[in-house]
Amino acid sequence: MSNPISIVWAKELKDALRDKRSVMAAMSYAFFGPLLMAVAFYVLISQLTDESDVAIDIKGAEHAPALIQHLEDQGIVERDKPWPAGQQPIILEIAGHWDEHVASAQPAEVILRADFSAQKQRTEIRRVEQAVASYSRQLGYIRLQMRGLDPQLISAIDLVKQDTATKGSKAAILMGSVLIFMLLSVFFSGMNVAIDISAGERERNSLELLLSQPLSSHQLVWGKALAASCFAIFGGILSVILIPVIFRFLPLQNIGISVVLEWPMLLLIMLLLTPLALFATALQLFVSFRAKSFKEAQTYISFLLMVPMLAVFGVEFSRLKNQILYYLPLTGQHQALLDIIKGETLQWIPMFISGLFTIAVSMLLLRLIGRMLNSEKVVFGL
Amino acid sequence: MIEVKSLHKKFSKVIALDGLSFAAPEGQITGLLGPNGAGKTTCLRTIYGLLRADSGQALIDGVDANLHPLQARRHIGIFPDKFGLYERLTAREQVAYFATLHGMKGERREQAVAKVLSRLDMDAIADRRAQGFSQGQRMKVALAQAIVHQPKHLILDEPSRGLDVMSTRVLRDLLRELRQQGTSILFSSHVMQEVAALCDQVVVIAKGKVAAQGTTEELCELTGETALEEAFVKIIGTDEGIAA
Repeated sequence: MSNPISIVWAKELKDALRDKRSVMAAMSYAFFGPLLMAVAFYVLISQLTDESDVAIDIKGAEHAPALIQHLEDQGIVERDKPWPAGQQPIILEIAGHWDEHVASAQPAEVILRADFSAQKQRTEIRRVEQAVASYSRQLGYIRLQMRGLDPQLISAIDLVKQDTATKGSKAAILMGSVLIFMLLSVFFSGMNVAIDISAGERERNSLELLLSQPLSSHQLVWGKALAASCFAIFGGILSVILIPVIFRFLPLQNIGISVVLEWPMLLLIMLLLTPLALFATALQLFVSFRAKSFKEAQTYISFLLMVPMLAVFGVEFSRLKNQILYYLPLTGQHQALLDIIKGETLQWIPMFISGLFTIAVSMLLLRLIGRMLNSEKVVFGL
Repeated sequence: MIEVKSLHKKFSKVIALDGLSFAAPEGQITGLLGPNGAGKTTCLRTIYGLLRADSGQALIDGVDANLHPLQARRHIGIFPDKFGLYERLTAREQVAYFATLHGMKGERREQAVAKVLSRLDMDAIADRRAQGFSQGQRMKVALAQAIVHQPKHLILDEPSRGLDVMSTRVLRDLLRELRQQGTSILFSSHVMQEVAALCDQVVVIAKGKVAAQGTTEELCELTGETALEEAFVKIIGTDEGIAA
C-alpha cells in the first residue's frame, strides 16, 4: 500500500462503495437495461407468433358460404365486437354476383377495404389476403382439372426459397441492440463515481488539500480513474452475465432465433469491455474535473454519453463497413462483439490492436487531466 | 524553517503579492496578519506549491515547493483555506488516509492516528462518519489530518474560524506544544486577539507587501500605540477588514 496510486484507489473505492447512489447507479443500469429489453422482446415475439383468429367485418357472406368456410379454416372469422377506437375496420365485401361469376368461370369480385398503412393491422390484413388468394388458387385448380388440364401447367417456375440465414445471424439482428446495452453499461455504471471523485471533490472543498499532499497529480488521477473503472467494469460484467440469463426465459425459438453464448465467449466480451471501462472513465473524469459542482458535471456528462451512443447507433444504422472500425476505440469493441454474436471468425489482431489503442487513448486523457490539475487556473477556477 | 523571498504574483490585473519577504523560524509561531484580500491565502498557497509565483521563491528547509513539490510537501502539514471532509468516511479513516499519503503504514500509522485523535479530544467521534459533524468537529478532523505525520512545518490558514471557546483553547495549546517540539508554525489570521495571544513574531501584510514585522511589543513600540489593534490600524492605514 505504499504506492500513492493504490492508496488513492483503495480510499476512493471504499468511499464509493459506501455511497448508495453510486452503487445503485452501477447496478440499476446493468439490471434494468436487460430486463427492459426482455420485456420489449417478449411483446415482439408474442405479436409475431400470434395465431389467434383474425376477426373482420364480412359483407355479403350469404353469397359465398364455401369461401366463408375456407376463411374460417384459416382462422379468419366474422367480427361480433365493435372495432377499438383508433383502429380502422378491415372489411371483406363479397359481391352479389358471386354465384353467377363462379358458375361461368369469370373472376368474382371480392373487395378488401382496410387501412393498409396501419402497422398494427399489417399481419391481419396479410392473413386475409393470403386466405382469399389460396381459395382462389384452389378454385382455379379445380377448373383446370375439370377441363382435363394439369394444374401444374400454370406454374411455369417453381421458386424454391432456401433461407441461408443461420439461426445465429438472425439472432444478430436482435442481439445488435443488446450489444449496445453491454457497451453502454460501462459508460453508465461508473459515471456517478467519476463525477463524485472529481467535481464532487471540488464541490466539497477537499481538492485543495488533496493536491497539497506529497503525491503527484498524475498518481492522484490514476488512483481515481482506476477506482471509477472498477465500478464501470463491474456494471459491464453484470450486464454480460445477466443478458444471457434473461434471454433463456424468452421463447426466442418461436421466432426461429437461437442465442447461445458460451462461457468462453462471455469471458471474451468481459475482457473486451475492460479497456473500454478505463476509456469511459477517463473521458468522464476529463469532463467533470473541469466542472465546479456535481450538477454542472452531470450536465456535461449527459452530453458526453451521446458520444458512445451516436458512434454505436451510427455504425449500426448506417450499416457502415470499413476495416478501420475494427481498430478504433469503442467501434473496435463494437465490431468484435458483433462478430462474436454472429458466430463469425474473430479478427484477433484488430481486436488486440483496438484494445491497446483504447488503453493508449485513455492514458493520454489521464495524462492531460494530471497536467490540468497542475494548473492553478483549473484548480482554483481563476 | 519557512522562507519567503520577494514573492510576486499577479492574477490577470490584480496584484496579489508584491515583493513579499519574511521567514518563519523553527520553534516559533509566526502570524500572518492582514486585512481580507491582503494576499495571505495566496502567500500560503504559494509556499506549499499550489500557486506558482511570477518571481521570487518560497523555501521549506531550503526546498522550493515550485521546483520539487513532493519533496517540500513531505515536511509540511497543511490546514487549508477550504477544508472539506469525506462525508462517508469516519474521522479515523480520514486522518489515516492522509497519514498513508505521507508514507505511514501498519502499526506505526494506527498509533499515530490514535495519538492525534486523543490529543485533539476526538475519541468520542473518531469512528463516526463525518456526515453531520459540527463546524468545530470538522475543524478538528482537518487539524488532525495536518499534524498526524508530525511535520516539521505547519501552515494554517485562519485556523480558528468558527471554533467555540473550548476548541480554540485546544488549538492554542496544541500550537504551543508543537512549538515546544521545534515545529515552525506559520498561520494567517485577521483576528487580533489570537495573534496577540499566540505569536512570537507578527508579519503584517497589506496589499501584497510586508507592512511591518516584529513581536507584538515591537509593533506597538514602532507605532507608539499600546494595543496591537491600534498599532495594526496605524501600520496599514485603515481599519477595513479587521476583526478585533
